[in-house]
Amino acid sequence: MMRIQNSKYCKANNRGQVSLEERRRFLRLGLKVTGVFVGGSVLSLVPVKAACSELLGASVVGTYPYQPHYAMIIYKDRCIDCERCIEACSQTNNVPAYGFRNAVLSRKITGVAASKMIREFLPVLCNQCNRPPCVRVCPTKATYKDKKNGIVMMNESLCIGCKACMTACPYNARYFHRDTQAVDKCDFCYRKRLQNGETNTACAEACPADALFFGDLSEHESEFYKLLHKPTQTILVLRPESGSMPNVFYLQAM
Amino acid sequence: MLLLLLFACFVHRAGAQEYGGGPIVFIKPVRAVIFEHKFHLGKNMICQSCHPGLFAQKAGEVEEKEDFTMEAFNQGKYCGKCHDGRLAFSVNTNCNWCHIGVQGHKHLEEYELGIK
Repeated sequence: MMRIQNSKYCKANNRGQVSLEERRRFLRLGLKVTGVFVGGSVLSLVPVKAACSELLGASVVGTYPYQPHYAMIIYKDRCIDCERCIEACSQTNNVPAYGFRNAVLSRKITGVAASKMIREFLPVLCNQCNRPPCVRVCPTKATYKDKKNGIVMMNESLCIGCKACMTACPYNARYFHRDTQAVDKCDFCYRKRLQNGETNTACAEACPADALFFGDLSEHESEFYKLLHKPTQTILVLRPESGSMPNVFYLQAM
Repeated sequence: MLLLLLFACFVHRAGAQEYGGGPIVFIKPVRAVIFEHKFHLGKNMICQSCHPGLFAQKAGEVEEKEDFTMEAFNQGKYCGKCHDGRLAFSVNTNCNWCHIGVQGHKHLEEYELGIK
């Protein structure tokens, strides 16, 4: 029987042989190569915050550059597709029948219930991204991100109808309005309501199931802020891989 | 005459205990909520469990009532009588088990009920 203690491999496997100093040097080298932290400073080409946010998707959470920073919170399990939000939006913003500013996506899911067709619903609207792809592609700067409140707005008189923004939008939140000959989109009811002193959007006000909440995330004391900043809350955003940093957050209600 | 009455009674009872109709869709106060007799009958439930105490037998009558809302269900009226979390799942959970929505209603009309 071979004695392990006397084996020649034993020495190499002995962890006690590597001194603390050596190990520390090795770790420091590793950190320098990957470029994360050296002595507490950031050594990466991309700021860590941005890199993390691109990986995690829910990037905007915690950083609110606008004042006020408008956002929407959607409890996705509460939506029942009654489409009152769509009706309210159409009436408030004069959305034509062929157009849409918000929509409810639905799909059949499997499960056992009192009906053979269970559906899952997802209300969608413009995410008012912090890095909006639509603004980047607009050749005439007709669509722009408001410097004060961060809402992605339209200047109809500048729009030439090239529809590049419609292609660029990861959320399909834009449509071409035939009467104004310009692209139209959700502006969190800024022109019709917020501008006139109201604090809620038409869709959030119309929701009978408490699925939609609209508010200002720059106020850290508000109820709205606390909804999003619970320690155990899972926050989802749509298409985080597009890197657009959306401002519409989806929460699990149950 | 007596025979006819008996026959009518028999037909009524037999028809009631095994309801053959399709799903019932409520469109008030929100569109749309589905109810199917076939998933309810037979689970220790007979017609008299719900009719006419909870729901009138005439279709559409209950929708006209003012208190046919989720708040009333939470207080144990209508659906909430059984769907209280003990007998059956509570009305404040599993929203989409009954709420099929506008799109679900359209789908149902087109593919299952037939266009009226």
